[in-house]
Amino acid sequence: MIEIDRLTKRYGATLVVDDVSFAVEEGTLAVVVGTSGAGKSTLLRMINRLVEPSAGRVLIDGEDTRAIPEDELRHRIGYVIQGYGLFPHRNVADNIATVPRLLRWDSKKVAQRVEELLDLFQLEPAEFAHKFPHELSGGQQQRVGVARALAARPALLLMDEPFGALDAVIRSKAQDDLLAIQRRLGTTIVLVTHDMNEAFRLGDRIAVMDQARLLQYATPAELLMRPADDFVERLVGSAERPFRLLSLIRVQEALEPGHAEGEPIAASESLHDALSRLLWTGRKALPVADASGALIGQVSVGGILQRGRPLP
Amino acid sequence: MTPASFVRLTALLVLAAFIAMPQVFAFLFEPLIAPGAPAIYNQGSLLVLTLQHLRTVCLATMVSTVLAVALGIFVTRPAGAEFLPLSRSLVNIGQTFPPIAVLAIAVPLVGFGEKPTFIALFLYGLLPIFENTLTGLTQVPSPTLEAARGMGMNARQRLVQVELPLALPVILAGIRLSVIISLGTATIGSTVAAKGLGEVIIAGLQSNNIAFVLQGGLVVALLAVLIHDGLVLVERVAARRLGGSLNEVS
Amino acid sequence: MSSTASRTNTFGVVPPRPALSLDHLGFAIAVLIGVALFAAPFATYRATRIASGEARLLIEALPIAMAAALVLVALGVAIGAVLVRDPLSRLGSAVIGLAVLLPSLGLSAGYLTPADNTFARVSPSLGFWLLSLAFSLLAVDALARMRLGPYGRLTALAVGVSALALLLLSGIWDDLSILREYYTRADSFWREARQHLLLASGSMAAACLLGVPLGIVSHRLRTLRIAVMQGLSIVQTVPSIALFGLLMAPLGAIAASVPLAAALGIKGIGAAPAFIALFLYALLPIVANTIAGLSQVPSAVVDAARGMGMSARQRLVDVEMPLALPVILAGIRIVLVQNFGLATVAALIGGGGFGTFVFQGIGQTAIDLVLLGAIPTVALSFAASIVLDALVDLSKGTPA
Ligand SMILES: Nc1ncnc2c1ncn2[C@@H]1O[C@H](COP(=O)(O)OP(=O)(O)OP(=O)(O)O)[C@@H](O)[C@H]1O
Ligand SMILES: [Mg+2]
Repeated sequence: MIEIDRLTKRYGATLVVDDVSFAVEEGTLAVVVGTSGAGKSTLLRMINRLVEPSAGRVLIDGEDTRAIPEDELRHRIGYVIQGYGLFPHRNVADNIATVPRLLRWDSKKVAQRVEELLDLFQLEPAEFAHKFPHELSGGQQQRVGVARALAARPALLLMDEPFGALDAVIRSKAQDDLLAIQRRLGTTIVLVTHDMNEAFRLGDRIAVMDQARLLQYATPAELLMRPADDFVERLVGSAERPFRLLSLIRVQEALEPGHAEGEPIAASESLHDALSRLLWTGRKALPVADASGALIGQVSVGGILQRGRPLP
Repeated sequence: MTPASFVRLTALLVLAAFIAMPQVFAFLFEPLIAPGAPAIYNQGSLLVLTLQHLRTVCLATMVSTVLAVALGIFVTRPAGAEFLPLSRSLVNIGQTFPPIAVLAIAVPLVGFGEKPTFIALFLYGLLPIFENTLTGLTQVPSPTLEAARGMGMNARQRLVQVELPLALPVILAGIRLSVIISLGTATIGSTVAAKGLGEVIIAGLQSNNIAFVLQGGLVVALLAVLIHDGLVLVERVAARRLGGSLNEVS
Repeated sequence: MSSTASRTNTFGVVPPRPALSLDHLGFAIAVLIGVALFAAPFATYRATRIASGEARLLIEALPIAMAAALVLVALGVAIGAVLVRDPLSRLGSAVIGLAVLLPSLGLSAGYLTPADNTFARVSPSLGFWLLSLAFSLLAVDALARMRLGPYGRLTALAVGVSALALLLLSGIWDDLSILREYYTRADSFWREARQHLLLASGSMAAACLLGVPLGIVSHRLRTLRIAVMQGLSIVQTVPSIALFGLLMAPLGAIAASVPLAAALGIKGIGAAPAFIALFLYALLPIVANTIAGLSQVPSAVVDAARGMGMSARQRLVDVEMPLALPVILAGIRIVLVQNFGLATVAALIGGGGFGTFVFQGIGQTAIDLVLLGAIPTVALSFAASIVLDALVDLSKGTPA
């Protein structure tokens, strides 16, 4: 668990981060969103002490980060930035091996770890290990950047607009991959973005920042249904709100008994997906299947519509 | 083999043959000389002069490189940052000094011979290497450095593992410039009695023997062009890994 | 003095510096001043022009009151350098230091030379050089930090040149050995000066006349560009004295077989090979920068010009050349500075110029004579580089 406690950063007279506190549970993904210049990157960089806080502290599993030598702290925290900052003079394998080598792992263990990560990120080791960053596509560079950050098995991963430079299709795939890897490794992640869709898609909790202050820290559903103030409400987007809400709810939760015609939808998909299928096919209801493919009921337009607004 | 590398190889062979056995080429120079004058430089061995010339240049360049790179590193660290603006200005000013002036001023201070030449080569050689070290170290992309810091590399590790390797092609280009300037200055060094290929040209000028002048000029020119090409090759290899984007830096 | 942007590799985590801390550079300068004042001779006295010198400390070299004044001012500058960070104050104190130091050198010469002795020579020694180095470093650093615009730099140059001219014309330095050297050969000094300027700027002008059109054509024709650039960069690599030597043989042959050429002054020895060599050296920077200047013109601008119906000629004259001008001027700056330096070597093959004094001085181990050739050369290159740097900035339209 990581606790951010009254963290403040001042440059001269200007407050860049103002008294921000929140906690991220073990194994969850917290997203920091906000407009440009809100202080998101500064907040993130205070966690691994690339920026020294003016006041406040950061606790990782109860341990104050100031008690840990800077470099050692950073060895333990993965860090991914926009543009990835891959070392142009080192090939993919050497890039990924950076932190393990700083930690003086023995070379066999390093090689093994590199191979493991290349597999995990679907980069064929034989093909990619010896390529240099300039020989990779943007999406591949991004994956190498994340693999490099995860190399020494950090318990915490900081990501500053990691998908900012990717096109929409690749970005969506990279987001899915990140979620899958996070579920698998149980890494705690703090991710900065200014893309609201990304925040809702990835975040277990979302921290909304504006002008150096933290306005609200809540689950996506709470943010939609009880925005703390006008700014959050506008940021969340009033027109998008119902659809965002629907994409947070699984079909499972709106399951009704009965039987409908047509191609079944999986219970694990979102109501947003179910609604689009209904609109597109012009039906009133869809059959629902569980993970094994067995039909377990149906989901109807009426049922979905009831979920697309705040509960009374 | 490309035509260009064929020309280079031929030039190298001709140069080596001429330095080793100049007498064989005497017939080429005979039309240029007054009757009775020697057609081939006869006051010393071309081979020995060439080696002495190269030795002076190598030594001076090595010393300049060590000092210039160390200074370049120093002024780009936080501790030396106060010296950065001044050192940039000094390099700009220093380059307005012609090498011959440095050479000439050194003579009265240290006497004739190798010493003033060495001093001039060393001092003048510092400038391009220092300048390129600065350029190389300050143009390391900031996301790369940010990532290095974020991964917990300390200042030393960042310098050795990231900044210097990335600056290497530019530093090498500086060393190449320095070597080429030094080859020329060392030639002029013969006017202050340093051993080197300039002797051949000076001897030709003094005895009005165009053949000597031409021989000296040819050997020095070919040597410079070939060394230049060789060093460019080394830079290419160093820059290739960086995606060739630094190939064009000169 | 142009590139002073201080890009450091830090990410803003350097803790703010306390207002009153030791300035490292200032400290180094103060140490220099200390050494210069107390551990190094101020002037050298020689009984004759080529006799070996006797060192004179500051207290021996000047009347006691003058010496004390100089020490006080220098110490003041040293303390200021350590404690004061404001560039303008630092520049001011450096200027005051120089304003006291430079005339006192002349006074020292008068003081040390026995009356009516025309053989004795007094020249500045290590202490003087270190002091002027320290003051100049302080001034250069302050100027670099002030980031003067082009007009500011030109003004600073003009002030410096006028001050120097004043010192020379006032006669206060007349007893210094280098000026004695000058007075014994004032005629040849100005003759060689003219020759030096003609060689350097004439070859540059010729190179511009050929190089700019060649650059324009090469910009369009890829094959020509590659051939021209490769050829010129080989020429650039050949050391000057070797190139002079290589040119002597063919020019000598031409002079021997074409009487008209000889009548025009084309000879194997003399100014002709020097001029041609300087011209050849100058071509590369001019051609290369013309090409670079033209290729950095944004293609959108050229397209827009074409879209407005400008002819190829109009586009070149009205759009491309003005946009390429700063880069071309930067090439001319390189050439001019390079030529002023290379022209000194021309003396070796009888081409004249300030190099004549340098090589004569080397031959006679007379440092004054060497300096008489070297100092004007350096001053010319230095002034040329400042003026052209300013022109480059102005042509970019940088606000002054
Ligand atoms: N080293 C610094 N010195 C002074 N001000 C700074 C420094 N670093 C950041 N700032 C200022 O702090 C504010 C917040 O910067 P920060 O990079 O944290 O914003 P951000 O929320 O990440 O914005 P973006 O979405 O554009 O990346 C900005 O106004 C920035 O100008
Ligand atoms: Mg940011």
